[in-house]
Amino acid sequence: MSSLRNAIPRRAHKERAQPEARKKFGLLEKHKDYVVRARAYHIKEATIAKLKEKAAFRNPDEFYFKMINSRTVGGIHRPKPEDNKYTEEELLLLKNKDMGYILQSVQSEKKKIEKLSSTLHELDNKPQNKHVYFAEDREEAKEIQSRIGQSSNMPDLDNIPSRIKKKIASSYRELEERKQRLQKLEKLYADMALQKELKKPGRKRKLKLHEDEETDNQTSRPVYKWRAQRKR
Amino acid sequence: MRPPARGGRGGRGGRFDGGGRGGGGGGRGFGGGRGGRGDRGGRGGRTPRGGRGGGGRGGRGGGMKGGSKAVVVAHKHAGVFISKSKEDALCTKNMVPGESVYGEKRVSVQNEDGTKVEYRVWNPFRSKLAAAVLGGVDNIWIAPGTRVLYLGAASGTTVSHVSDIVGPDGLVYAVEFSHRSGRDLVNMAKKRTNVIPIIEDARHPARYRMLVGMVDVIFSDVAQPDQARILALNASYFLKNGGHFVISIKANCIDSTLPAEAVFAAEVEKLKADQFKPAEQVTLEPYERDHACVVGGYRVPKKQKATS
Repeated sequence: MSSLRNAIPRRAHKERAQPEARKKFGLLEKHKDYVVRARAYHIKEATIAKLKEKAAFRNPDEFYFKMINSRTVGGIHRPKPEDNKYTEEELLLLKNKDMGYILQSVQSEKKKIEKLSSTLHELDNKPQNKHVYFAEDREEAKEIQSRIGQSSNMPDLDNIPSRIKKKIASSYRELEERKQRLQKLEKLYADMALQKELKKPGRKRKLKLHEDEETDNQTSRPVYKWRAQRKR
Repeated sequence: MRPPARGGRGGRGGRFDGGGRGGGGGGRGFGGGRGGRGDRGGRGGRTPRGGRGGGGRGGRGGGMKGGSKAVVVAHKHAGVFISKSKEDALCTKNMVPGESVYGEKRVSVQNEDGTKVEYRVWNPFRSKLAAAVLGGVDNIWIAPGTRVLYLGAASGTTVSHVSDIVGPDGLVYAVEFSHRSGRDLVNMAKKRTNVIPIIEDARHPARYRMLVGMVDVIFSDVAQPDQARILALNASYFLKNGGHFVISIKANCIDSTLPAEAVFAAEVEKLKADQFKPAEQVTLEPYERDHACVVGGYRVPKKQKATS
C-alpha cells in the first residue's frame, strides 16, 4: 500500500536553510538539534551542581590510604608505581612472549622481502658481478674489448609510460624500506636474546672492547663471558 | 531487484521498453516514470538500466586494462623478455598459459589485435641461468628452436623457462638423477610437449643415449666435484661440433678450501683440456655466493677462427 502512495507525485518539502547573511554561524539549528544541545547542557549542569554539593558537605577529617599512596602532580592524579606487580618468572615469560612476537615479525618480513625481490631484478642498474672473457691471442682480446665498448647491454626502455615507472619506483622503495625494517627487527631480537641470557644464573663478566685486537666481531655491542661451571 | 514472479506481466513489458531505452539514454527513462503508468511498470524499467550500465563499464575497463598495466619488451637474448609493471622482472613467454610451475608470478599482456600473451617471471634466486642472464652474459645460446640437453634438471624450475625460450620448435632433454625431484620434473613435462624428462645418472650418458639426439647446447648444473668430466662425457655423446655449453660452477662443491676464483680457473682449465673453448665467465653475485657461469663452444673449427 505504501508503495502506491509513494507513486503519487507530491510537492517536494523544502527545508529552510541558514540565510546567506548568517552563514558564519554554521548550519541553521532546528528544534531537534536544540533538544540534543539542551539535554547535554542540563546533564553537565546537574553534574557540576552535584560536585559542588559534595565539596560543600566534605568532612575535613576524612582519610583514605590512597591519600598517602598516591599524589597529584600539577592537578593530575599519579598512583604510586607498583614495583613488584609481576614475579621474576612472570616477567621472564612476558619477555619470552615479546621475543616470540619479534621473531614472528622477522620471519614475515623476510618472506615479504623474498617475494618482492623475486620480481624486482634491478634491470636498469649495472650488474655488480664479475665478467671475464677468455681470448686465445692478443687479436681476439682486442676484438672482444671493442665489442664490449660498443654494445649496450639493455634494450631501450624509454617508451614506458610514466605511470608504470612510478609503480616500479614505489615497488623498489617498498623493498628498501622492508630491508631496513628487517635489519632493525633483527638487531632488536639479538638485544632481547642477550638480555634474556644475562637474566639466567651463572657468573659472567663484560669484556672490555679493544679496538685494535678485535678480530671478526666488529660490532660496538657489549660482549660477555661466562665462567665455565661444572654441570651436575 | 525483485524476483520475476512479483514483476508479473507489467514487469516484463517494462523490460521490453527498457531495451529500447537503453540505446536512447537516461532522459527517456525518467519520462516513463512521469507518465504515471503505475509502480510496476516503473520498477520494470529500472532493471535493464542497471544491466546496461554494468555492461558498459565492464567493456571499457577490459579494453584499457590490458594495454596499461604491464609493458613487456624483448631482452637482448631471443626468447627472454622484460616485464615492466608493478614488478621489474625478467620473464619468458608461457608455453602453457594459465599455469605456474613453481608458484612464480605471471604477467598477461594484450596485443593490438586483441590476443593475449602470458609471461612467467623468471626468479634469479631460484635459477642460475636467470642469474647469469641478469649478470650480463653475452650469449646463452639457448634460443627459440634450439635443442638443449639440460643436466641436473632438479624439479624443473629452470627447465620450464628453458622450454619457454626454445618454444614449440625446440627441444629440451632434462636429465635428473634424484627420483624425488624427478617426480616434479615429470609432472612439469606432462604439460610441456618440448621437454623430455630422463631420470638417469648424468655420469652414464650411455644409459640414455637412445633417448637423446644431437643437441645444439648443453646446460649443466650438476654441482658435483667431477662436473667438468660429466659435461665432457655428455658432450662427446650428444653435442654437435661447434655446439655450445653453459655450465654453472659452485665453488664449494668442488673444493671448499680454495678461494672461489681459483676453483673457477681450475674448472676452466679442465674444460679446455676436453675440447671446450670457454668464451666468457660471469659470477652470479647478488643471487648466489661463490657461483660462476661459464659459456663457450665445443670442438670449434680452427679455420673459421683464423679467417674471422
